[in-house]
Amino acid sequence: MNILELKNVVKSFGDYKATNDVSFSVKEGSIFGLLGPNGAGKTTIIRQITNIYMPDEGEIFLFGSKVSPEHQNRIGYLPEERGLYKKLKVLEQLIYFGKLKGLSSKNAEARARQWLVKLGVADWAEKKIQDLSKGMQQKVQFISTILHEPDFLILDEPFSGFDPINVDLIRNIILNLKEKGKTIILSTHVMSQVEQLCDELLLINKGKSVLFGEVREIKSRFGKNHLVLEFSPDSSMIEDLENVEIIERSAGRAEIKLLEKSCEAQSQHILRKLIESGLSISRFEISEPSLHEIFIQTVGEENLNEEELAQISN
Amino acid sequence: MKLFSPKLPTIIQHEYMSKFKTKGFLLGTLLGPLAMIAMLGVVIAAAVLSKDTTELKLAIVDNTNSIGKELVASDTSKYYINRQSVDELNNKIISGELDGYVLIPSSILDSGDVEVYSEGGGGLGFIKSLESNLGNILTHRRLQREGVDVSVIELVGKQLDVITKKVTKDGGVEKDNAEGLAFIGYGLGFAIYMLMFIYGSWVSRGVIEEKANRIIEVIASSAKPFEILLGKVVGIGLLGLTQVVAWIVIGFALLQLAAPIIAMTVDIDPATLSTGMSMQDAQTAQAQEMMSNFPVISPWMIIGFIFYFLAGYFIYASLFAAVGSAVDQEQDAQQLLIPVTLPIIIPILLINVVMTNPDGTLSVALSLFPFFTPIIMTVRIAAGNVPVWQIGLSVILVVGTFLSSLWVASRIYRVGILMTGKKPTFKDLYKWLRA
Repeated sequence: MNILELKNVVKSFGDYKATNDVSFSVKEGSIFGLLGPNGAGKTTIIRQITNIYMPDEGEIFLFGSKVSPEHQNRIGYLPEERGLYKKLKVLEQLIYFGKLKGLSSKNAEARARQWLVKLGVADWAEKKIQDLSKGMQQKVQFISTILHEPDFLILDEPFSGFDPINVDLIRNIILNLKEKGKTIILSTHVMSQVEQLCDELLLINKGKSVLFGEVREIKSRFGKNHLVLEFSPDSSMIEDLENVEIIERSAGRAEIKLLEKSCEAQSQHILRKLIESGLSISRFEISEPSLHEIFIQTVGEENLNEEELAQISN
Repeated sequence: MKLFSPKLPTIIQHEYMSKFKTKGFLLGTLLGPLAMIAMLGVVIAAAVLSKDTTELKLAIVDNTNSIGKELVASDTSKYYINRQSVDELNNKIISGELDGYVLIPSSILDSGDVEVYSEGGGGLGFIKSLESNLGNILTHRRLQREGVDVSVIELVGKQLDVITKKVTKDGGVEKDNAEGLAFIGYGLGFAIYMLMFIYGSWVSRGVIEEKANRIIEVIASSAKPFEILLGKVVGIGLLGLTQVVAWIVIGFALLQLAAPIIAMTVDIDPATLSTGMSMQDAQTAQAQEMMSNFPVISPWMIIGFIFYFLAGYFIYASLFAAVGSAVDQEQDAQQLLIPVTLPIIIPILLINVVMTNPDGTLSVALSLFPFFTPIIMTVRIAAGNVPVWQIGLSVILVVGTFLSSLWVASRIYRVGILMTGKKPTFKDLYKWLRA
């Protein structure tokens, strides 16, 4: 069953169509990747789902009915740019947001305390937000998003600002929510997270939907034309290979795209060459392109700036 | 669709409590009346001091041989007879030993001219006091010269003193204190002016904080913009009301405490002592006399003050919020705030006109213009006699104005809070309003 459905949604600001005829649906209990370069229109779409904006055209259905303020209590939204009251204490902050989502004061406090313990910030409950480290503020914001146990979550870059241990912690919470049947939209620039977590994805560019479907299906759509190699010692013969495009290259490692018609034959040819040259090969893998590769190929490199490229390759 | 959800009280409570619990609010509430009393003290002290502005001592060179003596007798602290030559006096002025001297010509009774020599400057105060001191003597002398009887001269010289009485509804007559009441009106009007600015800027600062810290994105996905705006305006309004009521209560308590202290410092008039009462009784009597001279602040004045303060706050606070929503940082708000602050400032400039003639046509018209009503009507209620129909009309007008400004503000707010990046112009705001 589809929890969310957008049908030909259009939203314009002046002459610019920030959402240009976008349609997609999100299945109940799945994690859905909402991807696109900066300024592609992700936030505009999210704001229409959370009833901050009204679409100019088209329809948005949530939980089977048109989006309305009545839905707001069942949505948890973690915006990319985090916002907390600096002068408020952690617990007060969480109680206020919980109440805004329809919880009673008591209930909000009890749940907030539980989550603070779970995320290891219980000692900070009575501290002001401004006295917290960035990472701890992120945790508080994350708690405020899930405090009212929403059925539908929109998480915009939920891992940014966390160290690897906390990334794991947050990821486990997200997977746990999925197990409980919650539906999650994950918007991120980190493609490895999408590969790990998402069932389906939508890629938008300049307000338009450019790619939509199951992650696995999309990857196979792009074909098995990638070769990942690991070898030692490092050798310049990779650069001398013909009819290939080097996607990634580091000492003793290379990811290349095969450009000949028969990838099968080309890959065997390369393998033979490597062995003949006396390299010790520790990895030889024919694979689908990474989402990173698909993202860049679809959006077009010329549409990305350097900062975005760096973000995506993380 | 319901206009309000249960979220509105949540927002109101949040706005009220998060500010109420701050140290700044507590200090402001407790120290406000003290600051006001201190300010009042400075004003009174300045007034008392300015009565005797001249500390200059003047030598009198008297060519009539009689008027000079009389002048010295009128105020020995300022004048003394001098027998030195003009050259010596000039030297003394240059060396700084002497402030100045007055040259009284023998023809003064006819010409009325007198010359004062000094090192220059010294303010207007000493000229004024010389004019009045010498003027009285001259008048006296001239009348005497024309053969007018001394008793008649004294009668003519008697100062005019207008004592105002007020006829009350039950037919009695009581002491009226038009001047004092006008000043109370001025004070109350000015207080409303300050309060509208203070609480209004709390509102706009709060809106800007939520926008700059991106809190608004989370709140806007939880409640309607109209509820967020109204919740903020009402929450801070209630907070302001709390503070104002606290100030009034503390202020009255302080006055009660202060009365006996004032009584202790009162100079005892020998006339009251002579009737044979004790020193303390005399002091109390004197203090009571002083208190009865003090104009009475009626409950209606306070009720009017609180009502019009709230009315003014609500009309302007939502507009302050709208401006706050349009900008990314406080500095950018200045220009957009001009049309909001101008109608708050204008009545302060007109307050003198209203004090002079609180029930005149102009005052009535100004007090019924809803953007001016809060300040002007408060002044009129204290200083004049406002008919009930005018009060009623003003209430209808300010409530209507509040609803319209809330509507305008909410249209701008709803768009503004999510707009970041460029500094909006009035044209943009107009576009948002119509969107």
